[in-house]
Amino acid sequence: MDARLTDEQQRVQETARDFIESEGGIELARRQLEGENVVDDLWNELADLDYTAITVPLEYGGFGEGMVYLTALLEVTGRYALPGPLPETAAIAVPLLTELGTEDQQSTYLPAIADGDCRMSVAVYDDETESLPHAIQMRAEPTGSDSESAFRLDGTKTLVPYGDDVDAVILAARTRNSQGYDGISLFVVDTDQDGVETQRLDSLDWTRPMYELTVDDLEVGDKALLGPVHAGGSALQTAVDRFTVAGTAMLTGAADRAVDLSVEHGTEREQYGHPVGRFQAVKHRIADMWIDMQSARSLVYYAAWALDNDEPDATRAAAATKVYAADRLHRVFSDDIWNHGGMGFTWDHDGHIYLKQAKSWRNFLGSPESNRERLISARLATESAKSPSGES
Amino acid sequence: MDFSYTEAQESFRHELRDWLEENLPDGWLENPEIPSDREERNAFFKEWQQTLAADNWAGIHWPEAYGGRGASLIEQTIYREEMARVNAPPQINLIGVNLIGPTLIEVGTEEQKERFVPNILSAEEIWCQGYSEPESGSDVASLTTKAEKDGDEWVINGQKIWTSYAHIADWCFLVARTDSSGTKHEGLTAFLVDMDQDGISTEPIHQANDDRTFNQVYFDDAVTTDDLVVGEVDEGWDVVMTLSAFEHGMTSIYSIEQEYLDLLEYCQEETRGGTPLIEDDNVRRQLADLDARIQAAKMTHYRNVSTQMETGTPGPEASMDLVVSDELRKDLLNFAVDIKGPAAALWDNEHEAVDETSGYIRSYGSWIAAGTGDIQRNIIGEQVLGLPKDIKSKTSHRGE
Ligand SMILES: Cc1cc2nc3c(=O)[nH]c(=O)nc-3n(C[C@H](O)[C@H](O)[C@H](O)COP(=O)(O)OP(=O)(O)OC[C@H]3O[C@@H](n4cnc5c(N)ncnc54)[C@H](O)[C@@H]3O)c2cc1C
Repeated sequence: MDARLTDEQQRVQETARDFIESEGGIELARRQLEGENVVDDLWNELADLDYTAITVPLEYGGFGEGMVYLTALLEVTGRYALPGPLPETAAIAVPLLTELGTEDQQSTYLPAIADGDCRMSVAVYDDETESLPHAIQMRAEPTGSDSESAFRLDGTKTLVPYGDDVDAVILAARTRNSQGYDGISLFVVDTDQDGVETQRLDSLDWTRPMYELTVDDLEVGDKALLGPVHAGGSALQTAVDRFTVAGTAMLTGAADRAVDLSVEHGTEREQYGHPVGRFQAVKHRIADMWIDMQSARSLVYYAAWALDNDEPDATRAAAATKVYAADRLHRVFSDDIWNHGGMGFTWDHDGHIYLKQAKSWRNFLGSPESNRERLISARLATESAKSPSGES
Repeated sequence: MDFSYTEAQESFRHELRDWLEENLPDGWLENPEIPSDREERNAFFKEWQQTLAADNWAGIHWPEAYGGRGASLIEQTIYREEMARVNAPPQINLIGVNLIGPTLIEVGTEEQKERFVPNILSAEEIWCQGYSEPESGSDVASLTTKAEKDGDEWVINGQKIWTSYAHIADWCFLVARTDSSGTKHEGLTAFLVDMDQDGISTEPIHQANDDRTFNQVYFDDAVTTDDLVVGEVDEGWDVVMTLSAFEHGMTSIYSIEQEYLDLLEYCQEETRGGTPLIEDDNVRRQLADLDARIQAAKMTHYRNVSTQMETGTPGPEASMDLVVSDELRKDLLNFAVDIKGPAAALWDNEHEAVDETSGYIRSYGSWIAAGTGDIQRNIIGEQVLGLPKDIKSKTSHRGE
């Protein structure tokens, strides 16, 4: 056992950090939130550094790595609130295509993703006030043709991250009258075709634009249907688990920087003749921020490893990351604002960028509440699977 | 990154499992029962330690030459997991095994090692740790119990407090002031002191959990000898630091996880209004939160162990293990009492393994004992994050 990143994984982080710093660090996120679109240029550079290829299988020109490598990288991109649909593409789309895709789908999308020529996002919500799986309401009606994978999609998805910046989305729809995760089918839908429109929404976190995506009587066939008809629900849940861990990794990186910012300010800013970080109200608050950040990181490490190795407790470990991090890392960011006094409330201080990310991530693709339920059900299932003597 | 165990480590686990099955007190796995009478209980813990020691399972982290197994940190982790899994009884001489033995092995003289170390594992001699005083707790370096040299003897006067097991201890690992001319960290010396002498009297303190395991200890011209000085005279702070590194390597996370699993079982078995507790939304929510925190604490501990495998000693970041696990245990047992319903008003340990009522009160003791959360947060803030140091007095004089 060695519960730390390997030297190689650490090198991935160092390279990523050097690269992002050389591009301006958090200024990239600031340019994005001031209205510029930095995603196109940035994505090319991420592809040059092979980051878009990390999770793509070897035979499609990728590195065949899993969540451990990806989260190591995402911790760094999260530190700088780096714009772009990297978690959607690498943690959701690539594994789904790899697990469920036909050869045709795989060879269409995977090499393109690895090369940086294809970005992907997710379109699951039909109603932004409902949670998964109820939020999936769109019906995919069979077209009546001979092909069993021919469906007609019609409706408007909402909360599609980077909807206008991506080449395709993984779309979830119901292929029969159903509730819950039953009867859900997944589709890969190219965004640049007729019958697909996107419309920008006003998002809380301006570094992560959200879109509506309308499909207008769009006929799709085997090129689009991803995996078995009616039975995409469990693959979607696993994809969401990966995204949960990816998101926690990004916020952990952000929290790491928030601790650094608080330490820096606590050391430099003086009041009553002392640096404010000497006062324990501030010092202990920062120590707690650090403890929560490290705890989130520990959960991410294990969940990523467990997902990569198909450990029996992978689901529980993934759910635990959000159960723990959603509120605690949010508190890290709000405490950072507190530690900075009036400066903390300014646009110039980076605190609000992180705070808004944490808040918009909280209920997106799984709330802490739904993850608590996922966690405890998984735990009860493992415990009852053990024999009475407690042998594992 | 790799969270799996090697084959050798797994076979170590199985060796221990098999041994436990053979050697745990009769009927322990079905019904773990500890005698309620204090003296019988101590005898029971002592016998258990001797059973462990007989097969080198009492202090596996000790070198083989001293009756240990020179176990790696990973093996120690496995050991803790397995001991927690069967709710193994505690050893009577834990302070000796975990803190004083390893300190003597590291900085004691050959004669001291020969004379004292073997009797620690075998529980022939029970040890206590005499640091805290009425006026010196968190600020232990300010202590004022005096040791004065008289020929080849040292004469000790002063008072210690909160000294766990002093009432049954044969020996005390004592830190006293031998020079008060310098700063408070200078002029301290560590001594081994025979508890069986007229100059020492102990008075048990009645604890919040109605037990009496810590004590006041009075030193009135008590004596010890030159050869029982540990480390150098006036350099006792170094010895204190050596010992505290062993303290930081300890964690209770594995027993907390086991307590959590017992609680989970309880919630599945017990009903309220005809409905199993486990189907209650609030219960599920709280269990899930505890579960996530336990996993976080355990994985953080694994990370600290992995770092320590490389660096040798736990760094200041290990303070986090203590803060997190002490607070977690408090919250877990607090919840365990709450879900008993109105029966929470009774001193009743309905579910033996969780031992919730007394465990709940007891958890306040361990929360305070190894340095409070405030002190641990100072360590993290100052030594890990480099924040400015607290305003502290450097002397042991209190404005007299
Ligand atoms: C069950 C138990 C067993 C024990 N066993 C032993 C033993 O065997 N041997 C032994 O020597 N001691 C033992 N102790 C004593 C223990 O180490 C002390 O109680 C502990 O270090 C705190 O010291 P104190 O009680 O004097 O509290 P104080 O130090 O007086 O603390 C009082 C309050 O002030 C806070 N505080 C103090 N200093 C600071 C600071 N710098 N910054 C912020 N807050 C501060 C503390 O956090 C606490 O909240 C035991 C204690 C318990 C509860």
